Amino acid sequence: MRNMKRLLAGALALAGSTVLASAEEVTLNVWTIDREEDPGYMYVMAKEFQKLHPEVKFNIKHVEFADWANDITRAVATGTAPDVAYVDNPNTPFLSSKGALLDISPYIKDSKVVDPSKIFPGPLSTVTWDGKIYGLPRGSNTIALYYNKDMFKAAGLDPDKPPQTWDELYETAKKLTDPSKNVYGLAFSANANEEGTFQFLPWIQSAGGNFDKVNGPGAVKALELWQKIIDEKLASPDTLIRGQYDSFATFNAQNAAMAISGPWELPRMSKDAKFDVGIALLPVPELGAKRASALGEGNNVIFAKTKHPKEAYEYLEYMYSQMPRVWNEFGFVPSYPVEVKDPKWPAEYAVFVESMKYAAARGPSPDWAKISKAISTAIQQALTHQADAQTALNTAQTTIEGIVSK
Amino acid sequence: MSALFRGLRDGHGFDALLALLALVYLLTFSAFPLIYNIVMSFQEVDMFSMADLVRPFVGLANYKALFASPDFWPILRNTALFVLLSIVFQLAIGFGLALFMQQDFPGATYLRGLFLAAWIMPALVVGAVWKWIFAGDFGVLNYFLSQLGLVGSKVFWLSDPAISLYSVTIANIWLGIPFNMILLSVGLAGIPKDMYEAAALDGANALQRFWHMTLPMMRSTLGAVISLGIIFTLQQFDLFASLTQGGPANASNVAQYWSWQLSFQTYDIASGSAVSCLMLGFVIVVAVIYVRSTRHEHRA
Repeated sequence: MRNMKRLLAGALALAGSTVLASAEEVTLNVWTIDREEDPGYMYVMAKEFQKLHPEVKFNIKHVEFADWANDITRAVATGTAPDVAYVDNPNTPFLSSKGALLDISPYIKDSKVVDPSKIFPGPLSTVTWDGKIYGLPRGSNTIALYYNKDMFKAAGLDPDKPPQTWDELYETAKKLTDPSKNVYGLAFSANANEEGTFQFLPWIQSAGGNFDKVNGPGAVKALELWQKIIDEKLASPDTLIRGQYDSFATFNAQNAAMAISGPWELPRMSKDAKFDVGIALLPVPELGAKRASALGEGNNVIFAKTKHPKEAYEYLEYMYSQMPRVWNEFGFVPSYPVEVKDPKWPAEYAVFVESMKYAAARGPSPDWAKISKAISTAIQQALTHQADAQTALNTAQTTIEGIVSK
Repeated sequence: MSALFRGLRDGHGFDALLALLALVYLLTFSAFPLIYNIVMSFQEVDMFSMADLVRPFVGLANYKALFASPDFWPILRNTALFVLLSIVFQLAIGFGLALFMQQDFPGATYLRGLFLAAWIMPALVVGAVWKWIFAGDFGVLNYFLSQLGLVGSKVFWLSDPAISLYSVTIANIWLGIPFNMILLSVGLAGIPKDMYEAAALDGANALQRFWHMTLPMMRSTLGAVISLGIIFTLQQFDLFASLTQGGPANASNVAQYWSWQLSFQTYDIASGSAVSCLMLGFVIVVAVIYVRSTRHEHRA
């Protein structure tokens, strides 16, 4: 019996000492889609944070964006989720609604760094679920209209007057299209996945609809305009199977006179585009109509099962505090108003910051993937004339209502 | 005890052990995932219950939803068309090439080896290459066709819903020809030469020799090549992923890609499993034909 007690005491002491040791040194497991060699955001942040907090070690894992949802949900299901991870913004509600993420509202309440009321409504809505906050945006992005000023001049258009309304966009695209020179008026993406939805949703939103109301007259008009642009070959038919990055490449190569895309294109564009580039907010249905833009990029979150919530939160807060740097260093648009000194691409920066005010989240909905699929299916059906715009959007609406009401 | 060891070393015990090892391997890595997949197709599954075995049982609901989906029949039709066209052309061209390589000309064996290069290439790489060939605005194929004056305007091989399935099929035929050719070459090599000599002496012409000798002698090989071809074609995923992603508007979508889309793009894992179960049923039929045709081979 006595031996037993001694054994127990020994075991307790051993356990105690490991607890002490882990309090001294903490390892945070982190997942990100960034790459180490760029070096990506998460790697830079971790290194800096470690300098301030030498007791925190990092174990960063790179996950391909395409595999992300698969890998992370499998990790959650098998109890091997990381402590901290990057999550694409439309996927965040999916995780927070399932209880996979740590509610950080209590930490934020005592925080001197984070004031949720400052965060732009778009990004804030993606981290909020049921009144609680489950993550902090690392930065955002949104889309705008790039145009080739040289081509505007050549076509007799005023390079300082980019199209502002849908009608103007159509007319301008028509004037700029020149099949003999292999030039399309516009490049965008209407492909069958998330990118198609990402590009189309702002059109619905500025016409008075949203992800749960996609078959209103404004949305139908928008889709009919897309249809007309494809039918009249003002944009390449390959728009239907091409992502934003490949579509934008045709703009850089001067095979498209205008392009709709985001700030992530800027580094490549400044290398490849040998012409004068202009940029404007996304056109609206008519002058004075509500503006809208897509919301991209994502959030840093903490997983509910973490053993080191305090350190994880401190790390999240550190990343959040670095918002003034994200434009120049990583190409994200800040998610709350900050002063960026000497921004790279100042004209583009001004437009994207302005556009952030109108950027609405996709959803938020825990079933975003299914909703997104319904919308991109409608786009594809209308553009291939399997259904007219109204019918396609009605079908999408029925599907979406079935998902949302569940 | 020592009797047991002796039995294991050189008796029937050793045979049994070997068979058992193979059986355990098959059960763990083939049977278990298959059964797991079948079970999932009768359950309500989401990403977070993926690791559990006990989940709400929903009977045939997943299958019913699948049949009710407006995508079901078009995708089934696409799949049938894709498999049929791929097999017919892979086999015809592969057989033709195999017969050609069977002729004695300088470098025949090297040339046959070179054909394998296409088979070695990963399908994703093949997809990327064909994407350049098929590209609508600046594709190689459109350039040649317009230079030859065959087409007036650009053909959008991948984004025209009337054509995209055929474009992927062409790429898949190209990819599958070497495999067909090599297997058929092996079959051809197994036919004794003196039979042909005897037939030629008896006055059978080339066509008669092919029809009455080569084809019957190749029966089991052809059976095997066709059934393997069907299975490989039903596995073809990468080409769809890299060329059209099943689009536009599902015009080039096939069951295997749809199953993946359901499971991993919309996280509807139960429906995805149901699609793959339907495919599994079909593949089992094909596999039985394959096994029977190879059994025939042993007897011969």
